[in-house]
Amino acid sequence: MADRVSRSNKAQSGRARTVLITGATDGIGLLLARAYAGRGHKVLATGRRVLTNDQDLFQSPNAVYITADQSDPAHACSAIVSAMQNIGWQQLDLAILNGATAWVGPPEDEPVDGMKQLLDVNFRFHIHLAHALAPLLFEAAGQLVMVGSTATKKAQGRFATYTATKAGLDGLCRSLREEWSGRADVLIVHPGPTRTNMHAKAGLKIGFARWFFMSPLRVASAIQYAIRRGDKRRMITRYFAFKARFSRAGEGRL
Amino acid sequence: MKVLVTGAAHGLGRALTEQLLANGHEVVAVDRDIEPLEKLALKHRGACLAGFADLQKVESVESLLVRQHGNKFDLVILNAGISATGKFEEIPPEAYDRLISVNLFAPLHLASRLVGNDLMSAKSKIVFISSLSHAVGYPGGAVYAATKDAIASYARSISKPFHKKRVSVLTVFPGPIDTGHAEKHSPHGSSRSKRMAPDKLARLILRASRGRSKILYPGGKTYLAALFGRLFPGLATRLMRRGLYDKMAGPSY
Repeated sequence: MADRVSRSNKAQSGRARTVLITGATDGIGLLLARAYAGRGHKVLATGRRVLTNDQDLFQSPNAVYITADQSDPAHACSAIVSAMQNIGWQQLDLAILNGATAWVGPPEDEPVDGMKQLLDVNFRFHIHLAHALAPLLFEAAGQLVMVGSTATKKAQGRFATYTATKAGLDGLCRSLREEWSGRADVLIVHPGPTRTNMHAKAGLKIGFARWFFMSPLRVASAIQYAIRRGDKRRMITRYFAFKARFSRAGEGRL
Repeated sequence: MKVLVTGAAHGLGRALTEQLLANGHEVVAVDRDIEPLEKLALKHRGACLAGFADLQKVESVESLLVRQHGNKFDLVILNAGISATGKFEEIPPEAYDRLISVNLFAPLHLASRLVGNDLMSAKSKIVFISSLSHAVGYPGGAVYAATKDAIASYARSISKPFHKKRVSVLTVFPGPIDTGHAEKHSPHGSSRSKRMAPDKLARLILRASRGRSKILYPGGKTYLAALFGRLFPGLATRLMRRGLYDKMAGPSY
C-alpha cells in the first residue's frame, strides 16, 4: 500500500504530471494524449509517423511528439529516453504503452517477417520500454499501464499471434506488478472491440459489426478512469465504460 | 511415428528423445548444442537424426524447415526454452531478446510453417511447452512467464484452425523440473526434491500426446498448484514472490 500513499501525497501538490503515451497518432492513444494534455499535464507522445503539425493533432501546447518506430525496440526506446532527457523530465508519473498492430488470417498463412514484426511492436518493445523507464517510474512512484485486449479471454483462430502478444503483456504485468510493488504500480487495461482504424490496418473488414464496437472516446475515458482508480487488471467492457461516465471515484488523481 | 523435438540435447528434450527412440520411433532431434545429439544419432543409427538449429536466429529456423522438406511429422514437440531470472530491471534487454526469440518466436514460427508448408501428417500433433507460471505468475521471471503465457494463448488460438488441417495441439504446463536449467534459475539452496524428474515428465507428456486432451498439468502437485493459482491469482503470485523473488541472489541469464 506504500505506493498508493506516496502517489496520492504527490497528487495533492497539484503539479503538472509527466505522461508518456505510445502509439499516439491515432485511435485510443491519440485521444488519451489529447485528454491528458488538455488537463494541463505534460505529455510525451510517440508514434511511427513523422508529424509536422503535432500541436494541431494534440490540440494542446502541452504535448510533445517524437517518432519512435516500435518495430525496432532498442532504437525506439533510446529515442524516447533521450527525448525525455532533452525536455528535462527527471521522473515519470504515468506511462501508457498503447501502440500495437495486428495481423488477421489463418495462422498457417501468416508471413514470418510479419509475425516477427508483430512480436516486436506489440511485445518486445513493451519489455524494452518498461526496462528503460523503470528508474524514472520508481522516482515518481508512478504508474506503468499496458494496453492489452479482451481478445485474450478466448481462443482467436484468426488473430492468434496478436492475441498471444496481448496475453504475454498480461502475464508480464501480473509478475512485474508483484516485483515492483512499493516502487511503482503496474496496471493492464484490456479494451474490448473499439471503433478504431486498427482493424482496417490489419486487413480486417468488419462491416456492420463496427456499429457494435465501442467508441474510441468512451474507451479512452474508461481507460483514464481505470488508471485513476489504480485497477490492476481491468477489462474495458461496455458496462465499465458506462460506469466510468458517472463515477467520481479517484477524482483529483492523474 | 516420425517425431521432431527441439531442445533435444539436454533436460526434458533429451528425456523425450531417448524415450521416443526406445519406443522405436524416428526422431529428428534439434538443438544448438549438436555434439550430444550426434552421439545419440550414432547410437541409434537410422532412427535418430541430429538437426542443428539455433532458435535465436530466424534464418537458422528457416534452414531447419528447408532441410525437413518432404518429411511428414506425426508429432512435433516444441520443447526448447531458456530463461532469465532476477529483478526485471537488472537483466539486460539483450537477454530478453534471446528469451523472446527462443521461447516465443521460434515455436510460433515452427508451428505456423510446419502446418503451412505441409510438413505435418494427417492426425498429427504439435506439443507446446508452457509453464506452471501461466497459472501462478512468476515474479523474478516476469518476461519468461510472459513468453510462456503468450505460447499458451497462441496454442489455444490455433487449435481450431489447425484442427481443420487435421493437426491437434497439446499445451503442457510443467512445474519445476530437475534439470540444469532449474539449477541455474532457482534460488540457492532450494530443494531438488520439489522438482519433477525429466524422465517422469517425458512419460506423462508422451502419454498425453497419444490422447485427446488439449492441456496437461503434469502430476498431482502441479495440478493442485494450478488450481490454487486459478482460484487465488493474487495470493498465488504473492507467494511466488516470497518463495522465489525475495530469495534470489542476483540476476541469472
